[in-house]
Amino acid sequence: MVERQSPLEPEYYPGSHGNFEHGVDVILSETRPGSILQLAAWPGEEKRLMSAIYKATGLALPDGAGGGVTDGARSAFGFAPGKFTVVDEAEGLAAAFSGVVTPAIGTVTDLSHGRTAMRIAGPKAEWVLAKFFAIDFALPAFPIGAGRSTTHHDVFAQIQRTGADQFDIYVFRSFARSFWKALCHASEEVGYEVQ
Amino acid sequence: MSPRRTETGGRIDRLRTIRFTFDGTPYTGYAGDTLASALLANGVTLFGRSFKYHRPRGVLTAGVEEPNALVTVLRGEVREPNIAATMVEIYDGLVAVSQNRFPSLAWDVNAINQLGGKILSAGFYYKTFMGPVIGPLKGTRFWMFCEHFIRRAAGLGRAGTAADPERYERMNAFCDVLVVGSGPAGLMAARAAADQGQRVILCELEPHFGGSANWSGETIDGTPVADWAARAVGQLEGHDNVRLLPRTTVWGYYDGNTLAALERVTDHKEAPAKGEPRHRYWAIRAKSVVLATGSFERPLVFPGNDRPCVMLAHAAERYANEFGVLPGDRIALFTNNDSAYRSALALKSAGAAIVAIIDVRQDLSSEMRKLATDAEAEILSGHAVVSTEGGKALSGLKVQRFDMVSGALTGDARSIHADCLLMSGGWSPTIHLASQAGARAEWDAARQAFLPPKPTQKWVGAGAFIGSFSTAEAIAEGRAAGLSAAGATGAPTALPVVDAAPGDPDPAPVFEIKAKGKSFVDFQHDVTAEDVRLAHREGFVSVEHLKRYTTLGMATDQGKSSNVPGLAIMAEALGKPIPEVGTTRFRPPYSAVSIGSLAAERFGDLKPERLTPMHDWHIANGATMYSAGLWYRPMIYGLAGETIEQAYVREAKATRDSAGIVDVSTLGKIAVQGPDAAELLDRVYTNMFSTLAVGKARYGLMLREDGLAFDDGTTWRLGEQNFLMTTTTANASKVMQHLEYFLDVIWPELKVTVTSVTDEWAGAAIGGPKARAILAACVKGTAVDNVTLPFMGIVHGKIADVPVMICRLSFSGEMAFEVYSGAGYGTHVWEALIEAGKPFGLVTYGLEALGTMRIEKGHVTGAEIDGRTTARDLHLDWMLSKKKPFIGSAMMDREGLIAPDRLQLVGLVSLDNRPLNGGAHIVEELDEANPHGSIGHITACCYSPALGKHIALALVSGGKARHGTRAFVSDPLRNRFGPIEIVSNHFYDPDGSRMHG
Amino acid sequence: MLITCPYCGPRDVIEFTYQGDGNRQRPQPSSQDLDAWNAYVYDRLNPAGDHNEIWQHSGGCRAHLRVVRNTLTHEISSSGFARGDHKAAARHKSEAKS
Repeated sequence: MVERQSPLEPEYYPGSHGNFEHGVDVILSETRPGSILQLAAWPGEEKRLMSAIYKATGLALPDGAGGGVTDGARSAFGFAPGKFTVVDEAEGLAAAFSGVVTPAIGTVTDLSHGRTAMRIAGPKAEWVLAKFFAIDFALPAFPIGAGRSTTHHDVFAQIQRTGADQFDIYVFRSFARSFWKALCHASEEVGYEVQ
Repeated sequence: MSPRRTETGGRIDRLRTIRFTFDGTPYTGYAGDTLASALLANGVTLFGRSFKYHRPRGVLTAGVEEPNALVTVLRGEVREPNIAATMVEIYDGLVAVSQNRFPSLAWDVNAINQLGGKILSAGFYYKTFMGPVIGPLKGTRFWMFCEHFIRRAAGLGRAGTAADPERYERMNAFCDVLVVGSGPAGLMAARAAADQGQRVILCELEPHFGGSANWSGETIDGTPVADWAARAVGQLEGHDNVRLLPRTTVWGYYDGNTLAALERVTDHKEAPAKGEPRHRYWAIRAKSVVLATGSFERPLVFPGNDRPCVMLAHAAERYANEFGVLPGDRIALFTNNDSAYRSALALKSAGAAIVAIIDVRQDLSSEMRKLATDAEAEILSGHAVVSTEGGKALSGLKVQRFDMVSGALTGDARSIHADCLLMSGGWSPTIHLASQAGARAEWDAARQAFLPPKPTQKWVGAGAFIGSFSTAEAIAEGRAAGLSAAGATGAPTALPVVDAAPGDPDPAPVFEIKAKGKSFVDFQHDVTAEDVRLAHREGFVSVEHLKRYTTLGMATDQGKSSNVPGLAIMAEALGKPIPEVGTTRFRPPYSAVSIGSLAAERFGDLKPERLTPMHDWHIANGATMYSAGLWYRPMIYGLAGETIEQAYVREAKATRDSAGIVDVSTLGKIAVQGPDAAELLDRVYTNMFSTLAVGKARYGLMLREDGLAFDDGTTWRLGEQNFLMTTTTANASKVMQHLEYFLDVIWPELKVTVTSVTDEWAGAAIGGPKARAILAACVKGTAVDNVTLPFMGIVHGKIADVPVMICRLSFSGEMAFEVYSGAGYGTHVWEALIEAGKPFGLVTYGLEALGTMRIEKGHVTGAEIDGRTTARDLHLDWMLSKKKPFIGSAMMDREGLIAPDRLQLVGLVSLDNRPLNGGAHIVEELDEANPHGSIGHITACCYSPALGKHIALALVSGGKARHGTRAFVSDPLRNRFGPIEIVSNHFYDPDGSRMHG
Repeated sequence: MLITCPYCGPRDVIEFTYQGDGNRQRPQPSSQDLDAWNAYVYDRLNPAGDHNEIWQHSGGCRAHLRVVRNTLTHEISSSGFARGDHKAAARHKSEAKS
């Protein structure tokens, strides 16, 4: 199997950077999931789509806008009315949905190459992300598992909180290197490690 | 150590000496000093020269409202002008210089302007601009003549030209309660809201929290108020629901309770820590806001009120109590209210002699008389200061009897020897943010001040901000405001007990002492009381006009101290009460904001950019990149010594001779999926897509609702309910929004999902006579012959083990294919194609060759689909289906859109064999001296290697009927005139035999 | 200015794209009534006060919203999905004033 090329490669420097002498307050990484899918339900078919997601992945999505769930290997979250992002470490998740999401329910769009996933974790993750996005990252406003759609300038981003101080950010692949550089730059102040 | 430093006292750290320079002279101060306090401590009284008259100026205030003591701070090559010395915290190595003086601060040649006061009076810019009515310098010529001299003489600090290497950042913050100002009111509010469990942000523009608590000398529950404040801050620091932001000025109050603040993170440090920004721009969305911004003391307007060592009373009190600096040894005070008496006592306690308190009021309370006695000061009630004496420092002043009601001065002037004169003209609440947030301020006759308007957004006020000038009131109101902002009603509780000097908060309504000499209202812009009256005499009645004509309040301090006195003088001139004259509305920013903080990360290396999957390959293989919107695309792959033209001509020629490959990953790609996908496409495209077979592609054209051309591209049917739409690179997001709008708003019944998949696919277009052979050599799993892969056909296969999708379509006019693969495999597939192409002479080509070949073919792009052209103008009317309505179909046949003289797409051939230029006009008759009579313009041009000529595409009136005729290019800007022939836009292979093979 | 997206909650106006006057009535696709088309394409209300507007949350969930905005004060008195059938997805009630 040919390995997928990361768009971050020339700007991806594992190790500690920035003001890390005072401690590393965030850890940055590219998670490189094998599958990133976008699922959309026709109006009124959201519940059926959510059960299809459960059938294919075992992920039970909570009700409500932006609700989401993660089990480590797989994650899913709502990012728009009737629309969900479903992510799997392994490749080939689209095939698992082919018989499950019928044309009567909605559509499946494979974005495994088109979106790049970055993870920011650590006590200053909220602080660093607040430099980019005008959304409230505090835990009560943005619970674990939940997803948000937002924008940093022209860079559209979907963000899922996958831990108390951990967020996964999905951006368009073409913007990924640019955003990654900005993310590293913004993390210098707090000291960061690239894994 | 220094002449003006007190032995003890102040909140400075006397164990930490700081070294800095001002105008090249080395000085020392203590940690905690501002540049103003440190220079005062060193006996410096002269800080700068005034704006117009170059009068010597000292420091007037101790805070953000400072109009006089503006300096330039130098950091390496970077100079930042117009910083108030009162706001500069000193650090080791600080370099500051004074401004608006030549050759030196002490000896300034432009001080002669003081003698020419009449010329520089109110409206002098306007008058100069108008100029004399007749003569060689009539009208604006006079301004042009004078401008150079005026600009040199009048002004502030010089801006630097060195690039600013500092880092600036933006922060987004959310909170339940934002408290602005950390005096006793703000601290109580923050505490009350925090105790309710609210998320609180407390912003203080000074380095230390506490506001007046830092210098008022009062006690709370028996402890000094400064200690009380420090303890309150310590308690707030213990709350994890509270964010404390010192050195943070809230400068804008916008809709939706969104506030803007500037945090000066490192200005007080020798060097920032790694990654630390100099400034942070905080965008704060607050559920509610507590405004506890305090108040400004006002100067009195009298002759010589601008002389160095004339200072606001509370500022001197602050220098003594907070910084351990006495602004003078023999201090006189001039006041219209009680607050100056407390200042007098404080300065006396700090070691100064109070020589006199001059009060415009005849009748003084016994409490004030007692305070004056305690300060061992002579009281001159019913008196006013009529002049000051001295040069770069004060030597004395003259007083006369004064009648508050008539304003009359009587009796002989008496001289008083003093080296410092403190003035207090009453207090103006700092209502700027409230004014920005909504309604007009309201005049309060008792306080002689504008009080904040009724809230139109969610804020509550407390303390001096609402005209409650005592600390006891501030504490009670602060707590109530904090609770109210938190949506709580707290149980009554015992409030801290304040021990403060007594005083009536209401001043006497006296703003100006009319005596001979220049009396300054706006110190920074050198606007005098006489200027205000002159403006009135010249017919200015509106306060907004007065402000602009005199420039009162328009300097960098935005009239913080001058606004109310200016209005009072205007009102008197108009013979109207102040509330009828009204006030101007405050606009953001409250105080100066660095441009860097507004730009934040959005410049330089951090500007968002889009890269294709093969970007690094292009760079590694000699591509010159070109920015197209946010995208970067190869322009040419130049060989050593090649010009751009040589490179693209070689690339285009090689493509037509053998084969060429180009990165087309930037094309907009939209997945259109669902049972109604074909129906949607029929509605948005002018031509039919429901009839398209699976595995085929079709060229489509979209119109706007008004019938003009919008975008074009091919759409591929990958499955019955699954299409891949391509758009032009530039219009990708517009087309996406167009589709989303119609699906959401107009046709919600259609079951279609549209998703941007531009980034999912890497695209390589390979074209030329050898293109098919190259594909055949590397594609596995499918044939690519004419039967399996006809024109507009799609096949799936593998290249170098990677799944690919190949569509046979052509932009270059050659036999061509677009090869799509997952973006993560883009470079892998690209390299495999390059390798396979080596035996066939495959070249890589960039945007220049791409453009050249499309011009030769006469294809349109955004240069021709410019928002003004119709399908017919572009000869695309064959695509307008008559079998169905589509977006734009109803409007496209309006008479103006089908007129025969419309600009239509044509080709041009240069007849003088010289290059043509984009944007050049086409004329029927050449008139180089007087270019006129344009019949159209060039949209794109190139040297055509296929034709061996300079050619262009153009939009020409009635163009189609002009084929075969001659005209001229008329391009006076570039001085290019010459003959051309108008031809069909299809220059090359018009019957398409090459691409159909 | 903040606009409350029924899906995403209150967001800064920078995340939204104005998509035109919400009072426009698109004629039937096959209509040949040029006056009606003209009114739809070109005629705009310009009220000093409450105005029906269409905004797209283009920097968020990308849903189109119907928003009533006061053109004098920027006060937004209501906002909801342009699609009626998205009601179930709403999390955030439109707030008259926040």
